[in-house]
Amino acid sequence: MHYSVKVALRYLTANRLQSTMLIAGVAIAVMVFTFNAALINGLAEFQIQRVVGSTAHVTLKPERRMPAVVPPRDASAVRAVVSQRALQRREQIKDWRAVESILESLPDVTGISYNVLGTVLATRGQQTVPITLKGVEPQRLSAIAPIDTNVVAGEPRLGLNDILIGKRLADDLGIGVAQPVFVQSDQGRERVLIVRGLYATGVESIDARLAYVNLDTARVLFDYPDGLTEIEIKLADIYAAPELAERLADSTGLEATAWSETNQRLKDALQGQRSSGDIIKFFTLLTIVIGVASALLLTTYRRRPEIGIMRSFGVSQRFVLSVFILQGALIGTLGSIAGCLLGYGFSALLAGLPRGADGSAPLPVDPALGEYPIALLLAVVASVLAAILPARAASRVDPVEAISQ
Amino acid sequence: MMTTADSTPLLEVVDLRKTFVDRYFETPVLKGINFTLARGEMVAMQGSSGSGKSTLLTILGTLLAPTSGTFRMLGQDLTRLTESQLSEFRNRYIGFIFQHHHLLPDFTALENVVFPHAGRVGRETRVGLERAAMLLERVGLSDRKHYRATRLSGGQKQRVAIARALMNEPSLVLADEPTGNLDRDTANQSFELLTEIQRETGTTFLLSTHDELLASRCERRIRLLDGVVVTTPAH
Ligand SMILES: Nc1ncnc2c1ncn2[C@@H]1O[C@H](COP(=O)(O)OP(=O)(O)OP(=O)(O)O)[C@@H](O)[C@H]1O
Ligand SMILES: [Mg+2]
Repeated sequence: MHYSVKVALRYLTANRLQSTMLIAGVAIAVMVFTFNAALINGLAEFQIQRVVGSTAHVTLKPERRMPAVVPPRDASAVRAVVSQRALQRREQIKDWRAVESILESLPDVTGISYNVLGTVLATRGQQTVPITLKGVEPQRLSAIAPIDTNVVAGEPRLGLNDILIGKRLADDLGIGVAQPVFVQSDQGRERVLIVRGLYATGVESIDARLAYVNLDTARVLFDYPDGLTEIEIKLADIYAAPELAERLADSTGLEATAWSETNQRLKDALQGQRSSGDIIKFFTLLTIVIGVASALLLTTYRRRPEIGIMRSFGVSQRFVLSVFILQGALIGTLGSIAGCLLGYGFSALLAGLPRGADGSAPLPVDPALGEYPIALLLAVVASVLAAILPARAASRVDPVEAISQ
Repeated sequence: MMTTADSTPLLEVVDLRKTFVDRYFETPVLKGINFTLARGEMVAMQGSSGSGKSTLLTILGTLLAPTSGTFRMLGQDLTRLTESQLSEFRNRYIGFIFQHHHLLPDFTALENVVFPHAGRVGRETRVGLERAAMLLERVGLSDRKHYRATRLSGGQKQRVAIARALMNEPSLVLADEPTGNLDRDTANQSFELLTEIQRETGTTFLLSTHDELLASRCERRIRLLDGVVVTTPAH
């Protein structure tokens, strides 16, 4: 242990009350830092999980073919291009069997759903409402969204004449289990489907606007005898989605979209939260700098005579400098260790509070996401930076002036 | 008497001047000081209050730069060294004793004594601690080694300061009214101790004092008068 460490420690222990309060101050700032991180990150994780829990992580869609660019010379040519596009509109994934073999070889994939999607007008009594029908293979009903575990009435079965409807949509339509619904597709096909079950996943887009039917039923309704309109994929690691999407786009030639691209609102929300969290973190660090700097400046001032004596017997300016920098570093280290423990404890306490009726925590704090190493590092750096000014002042004390006091 | 054999003077002061300048006043205090100190001498410096004794001692102790002139110690021109070189020189060759003992209050007697050594080498060495303990014993404080400085009496503190000044075996000890703050008896005892140690170690002492009696017990006296040195022959 270098002698300057001993002197710094002696100075800190000589004034226990001041040092304790200083360390407590740093600890509280670091606690706020880590708790804030645990809250912001926990909240982000919570929001992400809520979104990705019931949506696809990567969605494959038919490649959007660009119409041949023929500069239209007159109005009739424009009309021709438009009708050409109308014919091409019904793009589909034709050779999906090939894609299937690619997907099934991927180790990270936890669920796949082969879908035919389309819009129907659903009529019930006097009411006609447009709804989106999602045709899925019955055994893969819950591959993407957990429909089967969220059925609130009836059962999660998809026979050829069955339909599963979101609770909210069913309420809007005024229908219940075992009742018939008349649907008419955009291809002009009509059918009467029986409501097999109602589900409530908690996700608005699924509960209020979507209904599930058997894939074969959808093929008939929307006239896709063998193609698909989309393939949905779920992954073990959601953060691998963008990279996988890119790879799949290359290998299949399909349009592949990761969840993170389609959820711009979520991204914006997370970014906003992160920014406000960063501002709070910045201010906690600023508090440390100001607190440590002002306390050490006072110490420097109080110890001027002693510093002068040390200098008079030939202790170097560097030694004095390091004694005061070390005080900052010691305060920062002790304070931030205590702060991390407090932050973890406080986060764990809040995370452990009894859950609400819907099973969600009162605050989505995740104690594991407190960014403790960064907090520790930044707090120590802040304390050392804060000590520089007082330390320089100390090293520049004029021994003559200090001694003659 | 170990070093008197060497005939080159320990300290040679040539035309040393110090004028304090601030915004409104110029205060010439030292107006051309010339004198030498031989090795092993004990010299008393006298002069009325405000004559510049403390100023001269702080300059010779390299804590304050002179306005002009030179002084050489151990063959080195001390007006030409950088701040860190001066620090190092001070640590090795100069010991200070002040009127107000000036101990470090949060350290024990032993720690105060060993500090000049530990501060230089970066830690308290066994050799350093042994020497510090020996010095404390020499000044009669071996039973107070581990007392905090604040728990010592005035005379005890001054004796710790004497031990500390001697820690690095300096060539020159500068003492500014070392007994000025003590009562008659304690002052006499402290002075007695200083002269004994001076004789034992052969260290050169330059001490300022207002005390005619104590000054008369030194080998040689110099007097500051109107900013110059007036030498008084030994008694
Ligand atoms: N920093 C300074 N600025 C201006 N003048 C100063 C400064 N320090 C000392 N002086 C002046 O220098 C003169 C000598 O002061 P010094 O302290 O050296 O006297 P001294 O002989 O030690 O006196 P005393 O016996 O009272 O201790 C005084 O007139 C004092 O006012
Ligand atoms: Mg004086």
